[in-house]
Amino acid sequence: MSVLTLTIEGRDVAGQTGHTILQVARENGIAIPTLCHLQGLSDVGACRLCVVEVEGQRKLFPACVTTIDEGMKVTVNSERLAAHRRRIVELLFTERNHICSVCVADRNCELQDLAVEVGLTHFDLPLLSPQAVVDATHERFGIDHNRCVLCTRCVRVCDEIEGAHTWDVMGRGTEARLITDMGIPWGDSNTCTSCGKCVQVCPTGALFEKGRSVAEARRRRPYLPYLVAHEGRTR
Amino acid sequence: MSKPRLATIWLDGCSGCHMSLLDMDERLFDITERVDIVYGALVDVKEFPEDVDVTLVEGAISSEDDLRKIYEVRRNTRVLVSLGDCAVTSNVPGMRNQIGPAAILERAYLENVTINPQLPGPMVPRLLAMSRPVHAVVKVDVFVPGCPPSADLIHSVLDDLISGRVPVTAGVTCFG
Amino acid sequence: MLNLAQIVQSHALSFFYLSSPDLLLGFDSDPALRNLVGVARQTPDLARDGVALRRFGQRIIERLGGKRIHPAWVVPGGVSRPLDASERDSILAEIPDARERAHRTLEWFKKNVASWTEEAAHFGDFPSLYMGLVHEGGNAAYSDGLLRVVDSSGWVMADGVDPRAYDEYLGETVEPWSYLKSTYFKPLGYPAGIYRVGPLARLNVAERLGTSAADAELAEYRDRLGRYPSSSFHYHYARLIEIVHCIDVIDEILSRPDILDPHVRARAQINRNEGVGVSEAPRGVLIHHYKVDDDGLVEWVNLVIATGHNNLAMNRSVLQTARHYIKGDQVKEGMLNRVEAVIRCYDPCLSCSTHAVGQMPLEVDIRDAEGSLLRQVSR
Repeated sequence: MSVLTLTIEGRDVAGQTGHTILQVARENGIAIPTLCHLQGLSDVGACRLCVVEVEGQRKLFPACVTTIDEGMKVTVNSERLAAHRRRIVELLFTERNHICSVCVADRNCELQDLAVEVGLTHFDLPLLSPQAVVDATHERFGIDHNRCVLCTRCVRVCDEIEGAHTWDVMGRGTEARLITDMGIPWGDSNTCTSCGKCVQVCPTGALFEKGRSVAEARRRRPYLPYLVAHEGRTR
Repeated sequence: MSKPRLATIWLDGCSGCHMSLLDMDERLFDITERVDIVYGALVDVKEFPEDVDVTLVEGAISSEDDLRKIYEVRRNTRVLVSLGDCAVTSNVPGMRNQIGPAAILERAYLENVTINPQLPGPMVPRLLAMSRPVHAVVKVDVFVPGCPPSADLIHSVLDDLISGRVPVTAGVTCFG
Repeated sequence: MLNLAQIVQSHALSFFYLSSPDLLLGFDSDPALRNLVGVARQTPDLARDGVALRRFGQRIIERLGGKRIHPAWVVPGGVSRPLDASERDSILAEIPDARERAHRTLEWFKKNVASWTEEAAHFGDFPSLYMGLVHEGGNAAYSDGLLRVVDSSGWVMADGVDPRAYDEYLGETVEPWSYLKSTYFKPLGYPAGIYRVGPLARLNVAERLGTSAADAELAEYRDRLGRYPSSSFHYHYARLIEIVHCIDVIDEILSRPDILDPHVRARAQINRNEGVGVSEAPRGVLIHHYKVDDDGLVEWVNLVIATGHNNLAMNRSVLQTARHYIKGDQVKEGMLNRVEAVIRCYDPCLSCSTHAVGQMPLEVDIRDAEGSLLRQVSR
């Protein structure tokens, strides 16, 4: 495994072949906003918040799934990137029904925090206000599709860590929905082990523990060290 | 120099933003020394005046009456501030957008009544098909999200506006 | 305690911010000055007492619930976190100041009450029923009570009513000119079953409040006005007595040995599909009725709110006030202001009770005995 050198935000940094821009940036204390990324799970580049500029290239690259190259010059913060990130968060907010004030995850939500981080104070895009349902058939947990941003963390944690693969995504575009098993109610799933990992990794109020009221979602991050320890084996 | 003319108006919201404004407590007296409150819940003025410097708008645009008022406000206001999530995103009033006004009116006025089931009208303002944020209808100059925005934030926004500064709310306050 | 704090702040808002301009500066005074700022110029102490009392209530809400507006502290099964000793002590430390301000305001009101005799006689002074929550034994209840309905002569029309049976006693109807439904007492039918809720009604249905200073004030109130005051003008007076009472109950609650008990929440699954909750909100009886499915998702809700209970009475009060003050076809601003002020007595939600209109276009049609329009006045 060889060491590659590159610059991120004008700083000379080094990383190993196969490492991602995001990984190297974070090792060097350079912040890049992310949403679908969760350390310990495979990366899928779903949310596009971590896009960066690479010198000599017109298109933008998602830092979580772009591996480093020798001599690469990466820009993390620019007006163009800021505008893109703001627009991405805005798209996430306007695609479903995110009503922070009455959400179980109020004050404990990565989407809400991202709006502050990228400086989003309102939406120029119209709200789509889609019909979305709440599945509360599981004894302990529920899913509110109104709040889902399709980051697929739940799909990955269920598949890669728990090994159950209860969750998946059905449909395309704005029609895409998380499903349990082959699209049956969560409470009827016979693959779900009720481990609750999906609830713990959900960045928004989509997956919740029953009995929690507004702003009461607590993501028990003790799961994370376990996920991080696992990371060495997947890479 | 005469004092800035301040107005507040409440459309489809719960008054929580106005309550938060009052939560400035004693700072209210300081603010009211520095501005003329020309319209709003605390003063006795019936017609929205002309030539208003700053109007704080609470609430979403949900009825024909909201629509009429917001046009009037915009016409007479220099700096229009969307105060709180309902004005900024339509928030809780917007939750009906998935259902539509007809089903809601039916549930409230035809099903859940003991006698005289009927839909109110024609003397009441008709509900619009969608409850929308203020800036979906007129130009908004300053956005102050929050449910409600804190009294401290409202104070700093007012302080900026009175002093002729442009308030910056990006990165300061979140939705919810 | 959260509810009592809410009553204190809400009553302070109603009395000081919204109604004191009429009372202090006069119903006929210059509308441009007839507001809290005007009050602050004339009697800064009164205005500051109002701000301080409201802040007292709001701070309790903040300390208990994390924020002043929309605290999400009350949850199914209890509250989401216990009170800690430092919060309790902070609230206790503020009580003497609040108590002093509440009593000072009450004294001011009593001293001046004689000057509003005409308003008191025509601001919705009529017999009606009154409804409120009482504890067993007759003390006023602000939660966990049973419904009692009395008429203006004290005749008990219903008592010990389990809130779950509210719909056996209360009917709802729709008028084409309002989104606000009107509620009536079913046994008397509509519209004869007109009743009032809120401070005036609570003091009428209860035998006593249950704290000594407030009960002394209540005795004086009844000496002055009779056992069952029937003018909605007295909502103001009742409100001030309730502020005194609520502050003392908060003090009492905080002094209980188990107030810091960490066991504040029961957890349960869905055991039944329907539930009714009732409390005394600042403006009166508040009923929440829910139906949920077996998974706990809400399928149906009915809320019967104080302003709905009072709707028939408010309309009747407006009529009475208008009839008394509007004579001939000459209408002065102060007359119309009184028509609004009578609504402010009931302290309906902010938009309707306030001076801010355009939000509440007030039009008075003056007609002759045959009903033909002489003049239309609006403000």
